[in-house]
Amino acid sequence: MASVSELYDVTWEDMRDKLRKWREENYRNSEQIVDVGEELINEHASKLGDDVWIIYEQVMIAALDCSRDDLAWSCLQELKRQFPDSHRVKRLAGMRLEALERYDDANKLYDSILQDDPTNTAARKRKISILRAQGKSSEAIRELNEYLEQFVGDQEAWHELSELYINEHDYAKAAFCLEELMMTNPHNHLYCEQYAEVKYTQGGLENMELSRKYFAQALKLNNRNMRALFGLYMSASHIAGSPKVSAKVKKDNVKYAAWAASQINRAYQLAGRGKKENKCSVKAVEEMLESMQITMS
Amino acid sequence: MAEPELLLDSNIRLWVVLPIVFITFLVGVIRHYVSILLQSDKKLTLEQVSDSQVLIRSRVLRENGKYIPKQSFLMRKFYFNNQDDGFFKKTKRKVVPPSPMTDPSMLTDMMKGNVTNVLPMILIGGWINWTFSGFVTTKVPFPLTLRFKPMLQQGIELLSLDASWVSSASWYFLNVFGLRSMYSLILGQDNGADQSRIMQDQMSGAAMAMPADTNKAFKAEWEALELTDHQWALESVEEDLMSKDLDLSGMFSKDLPTGIF
Repeated sequence: MASVSELYDVTWEDMRDKLRKWREENYRNSEQIVDVGEELINEHASKLGDDVWIIYEQVMIAALDCSRDDLAWSCLQELKRQFPDSHRVKRLAGMRLEALERYDDANKLYDSILQDDPTNTAARKRKISILRAQGKSSEAIRELNEYLEQFVGDQEAWHELSELYINEHDYAKAAFCLEELMMTNPHNHLYCEQYAEVKYTQGGLENMELSRKYFAQALKLNNRNMRALFGLYMSASHIAGSPKVSAKVKKDNVKYAAWAASQINRAYQLAGRGKKENKCSVKAVEEMLESMQITMS
Repeated sequence: MAEPELLLDSNIRLWVVLPIVFITFLVGVIRHYVSILLQSDKKLTLEQVSDSQVLIRSRVLRENGKYIPKQSFLMRKFYFNNQDDGFFKKTKRKVVPPSPMTDPSMLTDMMKGNVTNVLPMILIGGWINWTFSGFVTTKVPFPLTLRFKPMLQQGIELLSLDASWVSSASWYFLNVFGLRSMYSLILGQDNGADQSRIMQDQMSGAAMAMPADTNKAFKAEWEALELTDHQWALESVEEDLMSKDLDLSGMFSKDLPTGIF
């Protein structure tokens, strides 16, 4: 089997830089990380210097994702040998136990970390993930709420909590969590879009208006967010179709919906340019938009 | 009348000026590494971490509250600032001002600071004064009054010598302050060899409070939050958005990234 460097004709420095990019931007492409990282560790470990330890950590987590227990074990051994008393390495050992579904052992390990250092957030978050993996969502929600009472600034945790609430259909609380995220990351269009979706799901005229506003905000932050564009169309046509609105509001929303529909058409035309089936797909788009109209009977 | 220029033996340059520069520099570097070794870990309590994050959250609410709906903003403001049981009103932290007497870790820190900085300076200054004494080392480029003579010309007993000519001890002290910028170049900004910064810290340390008095910080946040109003940034977002067509350039590019590299 050809190695990564042969397949793509890259040097070990390119591979190391690619791993660093994935690490800094929080990618979760575990199979690629395992391929690139395994070769880097086996062939070029001595040239990496001190970088090798963080690469071991990155590859180990990716190996757990891909069920490569052998690779995970060897990475863990190297790290244990170099950093015998480290909490960070203990957490990795706990993650390996979680992957083997030995949840009680993992919990014991995390409790020992917390006894040593009560401010260690990583161990507490792993315990909550164990609860989630076991399917105990209401307990996970409770623990996560307690965690967030003490560490209000942890954005990862707020996002996880919003996901848990959405799964439990508790949309009001999910919206609260997403508001926290929107405040700390005002330029992130994805949080605006998710918030708008939650508001849309909650339903009711006020929530529809909010959802339309936030879809528009998401589009303003990123013009290419198709999902937000469709959401804008849906929420605007929903309000326009509702019998309880005044004439002015209805007119405004019809205008918004029409604008959204025209932009969708533009996008599909742009996508289909140069292709022969363009005319048919344009017709299909119009039919789709027609069918998505929510009619109030 | 122009004074006859004194010509110094070039041996002085070789064996006095340069060695003093090297000695000062090396001692500074050693001081930096020693201070790193002696640094004690600062353990933060759970409460301190939690409080600092709460303050950050309140600040974020003030600055970016305009991106969430008005109702949500008011709900959070109420949670923080409510008269009877708002968080900032209700929470009082026990604050112990860490004077050196009561807080043992601060005492040891102060002692370590003194040992690593002041003591070597005195010792080496004295040693240089003893070793390189009895001759003039260098001349400062600006004229000085006679009152500086006893200070700068320690071992030289000449009444008529210009005060600009200084002894090696003063050259050593000049170096200590002059090499500060060299240290920041080589050891990075926050280095332990930076004498004058430490002395500045010690002088202002008496007036400065401990690591952020939490109660005062809470009170300040409460006041700032009271003053904040909600100006919803999304009032006219649809108009802004729909004033022009969406910019869809680059969305359907022909070359998709394939593979890892």
